[in-house]
Amino acid sequence: MTNQNISVAKVRDTLMVTMPADPDDVTVTIFQEEVLRAMEKYRPKGLVLDISVVETLDSFFARTISETSRMVALMGGRTVIAGMRPSVAITATQLGLTLGGTLTALTVDRALDLLTQPHPRRRLR
Amino acid sequence: MRKQAEESTRTEEISRRGEPEEALEGCSGGYHSGTSIKNFTEEGKFMANKRKLSRAKAGKEIEGLDTQTFLAAIVESSDDAIYGKTLEGAILSWNHGAERMYGYSAEEIVGRPVSVLVPPTSADEVPQILERVKRGERVDHFETARVRKDGQLIDVSLTVSPIRDASGKIIGASTTAREITEQKRLREALTVRAKEILDVSTPVLQVWEGVVVAPFIGTLDTQRAQQFMERLLDKIVATNSSVALLDVTGVPAIDTRTAQHLIETITSVRLLGAQAVLTGVRPAIAQTLAHLGINLADVVTRSSLAAGLRVALDVLHLKISSQDDEA
Repeated sequence: MTNQNISVAKVRDTLMVTMPADPDDVTVTIFQEEVLRAMEKYRPKGLVLDISVVETLDSFFARTISETSRMVALMGGRTVIAGMRPSVAITATQLGLTLGGTLTALTVDRALDLLTQPHPRRRLR
Repeated sequence: MRKQAEESTRTEEISRRGEPEEALEGCSGGYHSGTSIKNFTEEGKFMANKRKLSRAKAGKEIEGLDTQTFLAAIVESSDDAIYGKTLEGAILSWNHGAERMYGYSAEEIVGRPVSVLVPPTSADEVPQILERVKRGERVDHFETARVRKDGQLIDVSLTVSPIRDASGKIIGASTTAREITEQKRLREALTVRAKEILDVSTPVLQVWEGVVVAPFIGTLDTQRAQQFMERLLDKIVATNSSVALLDVTGVPAIDTRTAQHLIETITSVRLLGAQAVLTGVRPAIAQTLAHLGINLADVVTRSSLAAGLRVALDVLHLKISSQDDEA
């Protein structure tokens, strides 16, 4: 399923991207390109990637997310992955796919909270 | 007439007593266990006495019975249904066990095609089985359904073997059928019961807004672990929780596999965006985990569920205050 429409929205100081249901490799690559372009244009504090409709997470997608998150960090921002489905989480764990140190949030709402707060709530020991 | 091993033991014992070591001849059909030598004793036809056995000369007499009659009697006395058929499927012989299992007497059914026993939905089975037998193959423990004379469907386990003549040519097929309706029913009941136990023993409870607790009871095998993980993650999403307390107070022993499952669960919870806390880690568990070299460095752990709850409240920026304070 090729979806060429990856729209990156700017919400206050944050970039918001909603990933379509079954992204193929092309779509995933376009996602990264669009994010980088928007990063340059808006210089936001962070990126929220909404994957709440994504049902499959392959290694290419996972790797691209990690890479993108690192690039965003290099440009001074933070990335949060929002809305991962339980089935995707289980598969990712069992396949050993990590998203690097990328932050995660249950919902887009919380993701925005995370990014707009000066110190992340979830710091813990 | 059981397995080879038993027969050779008998042969050895006989030869130790200095008697001729002739064993009973085997049969080239597909016979299974179920024969009861006791039946013979009761009818006085054969004495299950090793010394008498030893007097048998190969292929000749056993206490007045010739081997052929003796073998036929074994078939007759079997609880299993044993019947022979032609390579076209016409029934040639039908033992007492078959009469009881299927409800047809030998007179009624000999000569008729074996397909009368097959329910219409499985009609293809007979030609397929006969094809394999013609090639010299044995169909082993094939579970299927058959229909009795009164129309009742029964679950059976069939073994069909080729019958060969003296030259080795395949001249027919012999079937042994065992009814497994009860066995199957029990197996299914067991599966249902096992699932019920799984459901009951892996509850995930919301203990406060934003906090879920998953108390482990007993050991965690792979199936339970999978089920548990799915249930926990679904609950986290459904309750929009920030913290999941995984309580292992009720886990008696923790081995590498269980520890692995726990770590997988914690990682999945994190991927979802919630915080996982391992609670109820008692000295014994802590020791085992340390010995196993399991790295829980980036996992928050506490020795009791209460302590874990404190962590959860902290994450949510909540605190519990006494009602007296608000006077």
